[in-house]
Amino acid sequence: MSWDYLFIQAANGAVIGIIYALIAVGVTLIFSILKIVNFAHGDLYMLGGYCAYYVITLFGVPPLPAMFVSMAALFTIAIILERLLLTPLYSDATERKDEYGLIVTFGLAFFLRNIAIIAFGPFPLKPPSFISGVQHFGNLIVTNDRLFAGSAGIVLILALLYFMHRTIWGQALDAVSQSREAAAIVGINPRRFNSFAFGVGAALAAAAGALIAPIFSLAPDMGVLPNIQAYVIVILGGMGSVLGSIIAGIALGESEGLFTAFFPDPTRALAYTNAFGVLVLMIVLIFRPNGLFGRRHLRME
Amino acid sequence: MSENGILIEGSRVTKRFGGITANDGVDFAVAEGDLVGLIGPNGSGKTTLINVLTGHLTPDGGKVILRGRQVSGKPAHIYAATGVARTFQSTQLFGRMTVLENLMVPGLTRPRSSAHEVARRARACLEFLNLAHLEQLYAKNLSGGQQKLLELGRCLMLDPAILFLDEPFAGVHPHLRDELIKRIEELHRAGRTFVVVDHDMESILRISRRLVVMARGRKIADGPPEAVRTDQAVLAAYAGL
Repeated sequence: MSWDYLFIQAANGAVIGIIYALIAVGVTLIFSILKIVNFAHGDLYMLGGYCAYYVITLFGVPPLPAMFVSMAALFTIAIILERLLLTPLYSDATERKDEYGLIVTFGLAFFLRNIAIIAFGPFPLKPPSFISGVQHFGNLIVTNDRLFAGSAGIVLILALLYFMHRTIWGQALDAVSQSREAAAIVGINPRRFNSFAFGVGAALAAAAGALIAPIFSLAPDMGVLPNIQAYVIVILGGMGSVLGSIIAGIALGESEGLFTAFFPDPTRALAYTNAFGVLVLMIVLIFRPNGLFGRRHLRME
Repeated sequence: MSENGILIEGSRVTKRFGGITANDGVDFAVAEGDLVGLIGPNGSGKTTLINVLTGHLTPDGGKVILRGRQVSGKPAHIYAATGVARTFQSTQLFGRMTVLENLMVPGLTRPRSSAHEVARRARACLEFLNLAHLEQLYAKNLSGGQQKLLELGRCLMLDPAILFLDEPFAGVHPHLRDELIKRIEELHRAGRTFVVVDHDMESILRISRRLVVMARGRKIADGPPEAVRTDQAVLAAYAGL
């Protein structure tokens, strides 16, 4: 193992970590407002990738505007899905809300994946690069697409943080996540923020899908692993903590990259990458049962 | 505003939970500028009535009329936007926000509000409640009594026509309770309408202009405090008869 290989793995790990963070931060946002884990989030990410692909290939739109179109489309689709499938969560008549959320989002994941196989076909598709070519940093070679995905991911995450901490809507979202009752009595419509959180989460996943597509290609089952990774990251970051999931996402991507670099048998290293993520989770949970940035009280109702 | 100055009215309000009828055809009207005390033994349906009148519960029978418009069945945030504010028996603050932010949120969600103006109002409100020195503290770190004061402040930021206070004096230190009573009286003199639910008879009798007594889901007395406190039915209800 050379130092160059290590650096390349570290750079790749950072980019993947940012993409993970982009997906996981949406799961966290949805969890903190709707109080369910969205197990279909990876499939929204898949749809986002395909959406960008078809906007590029069918309408000849450049990749970056196509990513924004895809984000807007997934924002809308997610709100429709939330209205259709998740409204029983807000009814007092539904007794087992956690179980309902689990089953419905799992079902939605299978549905979207299989619809994708029918609609897009089982073979991998690859959209054109955002910026083609590579950058040399000494012996280190990084493709422009990876650099672009990493930077665009960071910009989107910073935009989200700005929105959450510096705008009225962000404050209202925070208020709803802390107490729906109290939010309602100060005139905030909590139902509107259920839709909004689900939509924003899906739009960020769509951006992640569009950014990763030129690097790894698109496939209908590309959301399966991110579903698990996002869940790992959300727990790792402390369920409900936006900043925690961003840091945990980048840390997980990075540690997976380095694990692959350090693993003694390079032919098997890639196959074990995902197991490594879960191993990290187990170790963290032994020492910090609430995750890295967890609060003791998940729910303030 | 409807004629005869009625601000909010619950008419034949009925609410059942499983086999229990928490409110059984209760008529309850509050006139503009009134300060109504609502008392009754545990389980008599006071909080249920407030929950119905503030939109947190939909009545099974009867209706709620706010300024002449029927509002029962509408969600709670519509009530809030129409001038109905409330506090909860166990305070419902935004625990992970600072004291100031707790007041900023209701201010900013009003239409046509500017952050600068809302911050100025929030600070004035904290002055009024003697909480100004705690501005940067997280709400969850306040004492129980201070949380009740802050919840009152959050109501005021909505500039409401009527405030429902659910057990504002419960578990509050006597010194802070006097403070709270003083603030309620000042606000009342300035023209705000109040409905106050509490078990603390002494405080309720001190402030209310009108006293309503509930027992077993029904209203059993309604009138000036001096008359109600000697009412035989009320004495019987409190003695558990």
